[in-house]
Amino acid sequence: MSITPPGVSNKDFSDALRQFEEAVGKEWVFTSDEDVALYRDAYSPFWGEPEERVASAAVAPYTVEQVQAVMKAANEYKIPVYPISTGKNLGYGGSAPNLSGSVVLDLKRMNRILDVSERNHSALVEPGVSYFDLYRYIQERKLKLWIDVPDPGWGSPVGNSLDHGGGYLQPMYRNHFDSHCGMEVVLANGDVVRTGMGAMPGAQTWQQYKFGFGPWIDGMFSQSNFGVVTKMGFWLMPEPDAYLTGTVTVPKYEDLIPMVDILTFLENSGVSNGMPGLGSPLLGGFMMPPPAAEVTALLSKPGGSAASAELHQYAQDKGIPFWSCTVKFYGPAKAIREQWEYAKEKFSAIPGAKFQDGEFYKLPLTPDQFDKVHKPEFGLPSLETFSIGARSPINPTPTNGHIWFSPIIPRTGEAVLEANKVFSQAARDFGLPILSFSLPSTYWMRAFIFIFGFPITHDIATNKKNRESFKQLVRIAGEHGWGEYRTAPAFQDAVMDTYSFNNHALRRFHETVKDAVDPNGIISAGRYGIWPKHLRGTKA
Amino acid sequence: MASRREFLQAGIAASVLPLAAVANNIAPSQSENHDFYKVIFDERFPASVTFGEEWQARGAAVRAIRGDITDLWFHDLDRQWKRRPTAIAGLTAHGALFCLERLAWDHGMRVISRVEQVAHDGDGERLISWVIAPKQKSGARI
Repeated sequence: MSITPPGVSNKDFSDALRQFEEAVGKEWVFTSDEDVALYRDAYSPFWGEPEERVASAAVAPYTVEQVQAVMKAANEYKIPVYPISTGKNLGYGGSAPNLSGSVVLDLKRMNRILDVSERNHSALVEPGVSYFDLYRYIQERKLKLWIDVPDPGWGSPVGNSLDHGGGYLQPMYRNHFDSHCGMEVVLANGDVVRTGMGAMPGAQTWQQYKFGFGPWIDGMFSQSNFGVVTKMGFWLMPEPDAYLTGTVTVPKYEDLIPMVDILTFLENSGVSNGMPGLGSPLLGGFMMPPPAAEVTALLSKPGGSAASAELHQYAQDKGIPFWSCTVKFYGPAKAIREQWEYAKEKFSAIPGAKFQDGEFYKLPLTPDQFDKVHKPEFGLPSLETFSIGARSPINPTPTNGHIWFSPIIPRTGEAVLEANKVFSQAARDFGLPILSFSLPSTYWMRAFIFIFGFPITHDIATNKKNRESFKQLVRIAGEHGWGEYRTAPAFQDAVMDTYSFNNHALRRFHETVKDAVDPNGIISAGRYGIWPKHLRGTKA
Repeated sequence: MASRREFLQAGIAASVLPLAAVANNIAPSQSENHDFYKVIFDERFPASVTFGEEWQARGAAVRAIRGDITDLWFHDLDRQWKRRPTAIAGLTAHGALFCLERLAWDHGMRVISRVEQVAHDGDGERLISWVIAPKQKSGARI
């Protein structure tokens, strides 16, 4: 072992490891450098630097009782532990702890699918169950159920939802934490709590009614360090009859504002129930053809911007729409065709709006269709994204990873335009690559989210520069009221600093809870900016 | 300190070698010690296709991918490794190996050989020949 938990004597650490071994079996406590190195964050922005957060050891329990035993031993010896489910949330921290020297509590062996109900469209799973595992379980039993998966889909429903991950199906499912129903949690003292109806012995409704009785505390175990979640229920989507997409294009820069308003109405009304996609045929961008050379030239000239009159004139002369919005529908074939017709009626309020029918699939997909679609939009876990971004003539120096800058912004066209001005200026100031224009993602129904990837490289100086730029962007976004929804451990303190209403009352509340439920501060010290009392102020 | 990719791929043979006799790019000491459950090639790259053909001629069970390992994982390796971790080899781009290595860790396996090839195929893609095999001692990383 090359590192030990901070503030813990070698004897206490050895004694604790011995108790871990008694709890889970010697072969499931990992202390060799070779084994512990596998828990490094492959996308760490501190890779190869002294500040990189690394574990001291790992322990892999198989049962809830073993988790309890580990927690009791950790509490006795004040060993910091860092629970992970599958540890594959690359870009947001992976399996490495916030606090170097923590022992990773690897829950991958707890991979039991405890219940899947086709009648209730729900599942109850342990943290080590992957999306692939759950998908296989459903397929093998020919259940008419879809799971909502992130992309890539190799993580776990428990870990992804606790980290506030998102997917691609109907809104009530693609917000993964929102789609959970009931959890079981082991506290720092080893006690076991079940939330919602799980608190009532004999209740048949643990995965049917979220709230139970009294304060609903599930949210306190997401993006936090108040307990170790050992079971979670999820609502699953009934396999739909059909899938349909349609695209509207609008001609003018300012048309983005009514286009977003109409989209929001359609989504909040339940008319459009797939994940919509915003684009710009004129400006190009993610998943769109690149802009014409003339557009790039207009954007690059001094004073050039997406709002310029020259660009607007160019778009009009060439007949290229400024914006597009692809709306998506799941449901009965007849119904979703009518929903698309209704959407067209609504978008027709924008002068010059044009429409194009998109894909239509009667479900389930045929094998041929299966190979052509974006799999997560059909509840299919995929690793395809890792085959993109290899070295090529247009990408001669592929990076070694990325971190995500992902602020939440208001769901209005005005906010999209304003955020682009602010982030474009910041990118120029910090020497970051500038996209001509960025459009937000639509994972969440009620707000937009921008997702920008920051490269992680081999070069320490570049990583240092990118870290500083990242923190500056967090600060600038915060000044405009745009907050990160999730971030890697390296930036969690900086992000929490921006949630500062009433002299950081939220963080102080978190700390009050932390002190009450984990007085020795053993669980995930520093996660999401929540430090235990004995480390408070020294790490943040 | 190991580089990120050296760490990720835990290679013991991380030198860059000219591409020649591609099937032999897996060191004899590695290939002789393992009956590969599958040999993986990427049909986007002629050199990788040749690699697959040569291993097939040697009697190995080969499996093609096109960059994405999802189908290989879901329909084959995940099932096989849950039954019994078994060695595999391949000549692929970085992304495929990156995924396979991390999935292999969860089954107590490691990349035990890694040889990065010089750029070829005209598109600048750099292929890696590799072997993933059960760790000699102890169980899984999990």
